[in-house]
Amino acid sequence: MAMFMDLNVSYTTDKKRLQGLIEKAAHRNYILCCFSYVKLIRLPIKVLNRLTIVATDPSHFRPTAVYKAYDLVAVFPKTEKLFHAACMTFDVDIICVAVSEKLPFYFKRSPVNGAIERGVFFELSYTPAIRDSTMRRYTIANAVSLMETCKGKNVIVTSGAERPLELRGPYDIANLGLLFGLSEQDGKAAVSTNCRAVHLHGETRKTALGIIHTMKKDQPLSEGQREVDDPPSKRPKIELS
Amino acid sequence: MFPGLEKCPRSLLVCEKSSFEHEKSGLNNHVSKHYFNHKVSLVIPECGSPPPQLASVIQTFSKYFLVKNLPVYEFLEEDFLENVVRHGGLYALSYKTLIDQDNTIALLPNSQLILSVDKDTYEQLGLEGKASQYSHKCPMRYVVTVDLTDKSMAPGGKRYQRVLSSLKDRLPLKSDFLLARHRSDGDRVLQSLLSRYHWKDYSPVVSTHTLRDLSCPSLQSKDLHGDQCSCDPHSFLEWLGAVSNGVSCDNAATDFLSTYVCPEPKTAISQVLHCAVSGFLLPEDIYSLLQELRRYFDEPKFTSWLSLTVHGFMDSPVSWGDREHGFHKGGENFYNVVLFKNQDYWLQMGTGSNDKCPP
Repeated sequence: MAMFMDLNVSYTTDKKRLQGLIEKAAHRNYILCCFSYVKLIRLPIKVLNRLTIVATDPSHFRPTAVYKAYDLVAVFPKTEKLFHAACMTFDVDIICVAVSEKLPFYFKRSPVNGAIERGVFFELSYTPAIRDSTMRRYTIANAVSLMETCKGKNVIVTSGAERPLELRGPYDIANLGLLFGLSEQDGKAAVSTNCRAVHLHGETRKTALGIIHTMKKDQPLSEGQREVDDPPSKRPKIELS
Repeated sequence: MFPGLEKCPRSLLVCEKSSFEHEKSGLNNHVSKHYFNHKVSLVIPECGSPPPQLASVIQTFSKYFLVKNLPVYEFLEEDFLENVVRHGGLYALSYKTLIDQDNTIALLPNSQLILSVDKDTYEQLGLEGKASQYSHKCPMRYVVTVDLTDKSMAPGGKRYQRVLSSLKDRLPLKSDFLLARHRSDGDRVLQSLLSRYHWKDYSPVVSTHTLRDLSCPSLQSKDLHGDQCSCDPHSFLEWLGAVSNGVSCDNAATDFLSTYVCPEPKTAISQVLHCAVSGFLLPEDIYSLLQELRRYFDEPKFTSWLSLTVHGFMDSPVSWGDREHGFHKGGENFYNVVLFKNQDYWLQMGTGSNDKCPP
C-alpha cells in the first residue's frame, strides 16, 4: 500500500485554524491539499493545491492556463449531462459525488466505466456525515449507489474538513469504506493507493504524455552580450523553452 | 444488506499440543524461527511474586542496540560481512518503519537480508525482487531477498558489486536499526560499526504486577480444543489479553466499557502474577526462559498450568522463518505456550489478515 493521503481539506483564511488542520493531518500520517506550511512530524508532510469547480452549466468548466497552476483539479457536476461530460471528456483528476443531498441523477454504467478507463477518480467526503445525521444517510446511500455501478474501482475517500476535529485517522476511514460498500482491500486503497494515483494523474496533466516535463530556464546576461558580435545565423535561439 | 460487515478482517490461529519429553517436539523450531519479538508476557496463576530463578533468567536477557541513520550497504561491507554476518546469529530490524507504508529492512540470523520496499523505491533500486503476496489489484510493495551467504555474494563478485552499488550509489537506503546478537560482548567488528554511527544500548524492560481475587480458566492438557474440560483457545486468549491489559472480567452491571467474562470452566483464585518483558528479544533468550519455566513445576504448586505469550513486531517483514508478514488493519504475529504440570504443552500461533498460515 502507499502512504495515506487526504486530498480534500478546506482552505481557510484563518491562519491558526489552517495550521491546526495541517498539524492534525501530519499527526495522523496524511498528505493533504491546502496552502502553505510544512512541519516535520514523522515524515515531512506535503501540501498540494486543488481546485474544485462546482458545475451547474457546461460553460462553467473551461480549461484555461489557470488550471495548470493547480496540482489537482476536481469537478462537482450537478446535472446528469455534466456528469457524463466530466466522465468522458473533461480534463480533470477527480469527480466529486454529492454526499449532503439526494443524488440528482442515477449513475449509469457507461460514463462511470469511461471515467475509470481514463484514470479519473470518484471522490466521497466523510465530514458531512460526521456533522449531521441526515447527511450521513445521504452519504451512505449515494456511496452505495456509486459502488453498485463502479464495483469499488477508482474511488477515493477524503475529508472535506474545515476544522482539525473533523479529521479522522486513515484506518478509521478504511473501515468507513466498508459501510460504503467497499471491500476490505478497496477501503484501504481508497485512502492510500488510489490517492497516489490521483496525485500522479494530476502531475501528468502538466506534462506531455506523462514523460516530458518542461521548465523555464533563466539565461545569464553575459551570453546575451556576446550575441551582438555573432552573425544572426550563429546566434543561439534561446528564447524558445 | 452487507453480509461482509458481520465479519472482522481474517485472522488465523494454529493450535498444537505435545510434550517437552517428546523427542519430536517442534517447539524449539517454532521459537527459533520467530526472529523478531518485542514482548514476552508471563501469566502464572496462584503466584504472588516472581520466583527468584525466573527473575535471574530474565535479567540475563541479551542487550540490544539502537543505531541511528545506518545505511543498509554497511551490512555488505567486506569486513562486516566476513566476520559478523556470515557467522550468523545477528538480528537487525529497521526501527519505526511501518510495513504497509514505508521501506522496511531486516537482517535475519541466517544471513538473509530482506528489503520490503514500496513501488517507487523498488523501481529506483534496480534489484530483483518479488511482488508482495498481499497486493490488491496492482503490486504496491515488493520484497527483495538477498542471501548474504550465497557464493554469488562473495566480495568482488558481479552480483555483490551490483547489490552494493544499488544500495550505495543508486538509492542509499538508510534507517534507524535495532541490532542484537546473542552474547555479543567483545565483538570487535560490530563495535567498530557502531562506533561510526550514533548508537545506544538498551536492556529489556521488565514490569510485574499481581492481580487479586479473580476467576481463572481451568485447563486440562488433553483437551486442546476446549470441548469438555477446558475452554476453547479463542476465549482463553481473550482472557489472557484481558489480564495483560488490566481489563476486569467481572461483567459488573455498572461497567459499560467491558462485558468480558472469564470463560468456563473456571475457578476462583486469590492471585495471578503477570510479568511482561519488552524490548528487542532474541529467540535464544526466550528458549532459555521456557526451559526455566519447565522447572517451575519441579516443586508442588497450586496451579496446574502457566502461560507464556510472545508478541512479534507488528511491522516486521517476516513472521516465522521467511514467511512474509504484512499489516492490513492489524499486524499481530504471536505465539502462546501453555505449560502443564505433567510437562505437556500447548502451542497456539496466531497471525492476522496479511499473513501466511503459521507453521
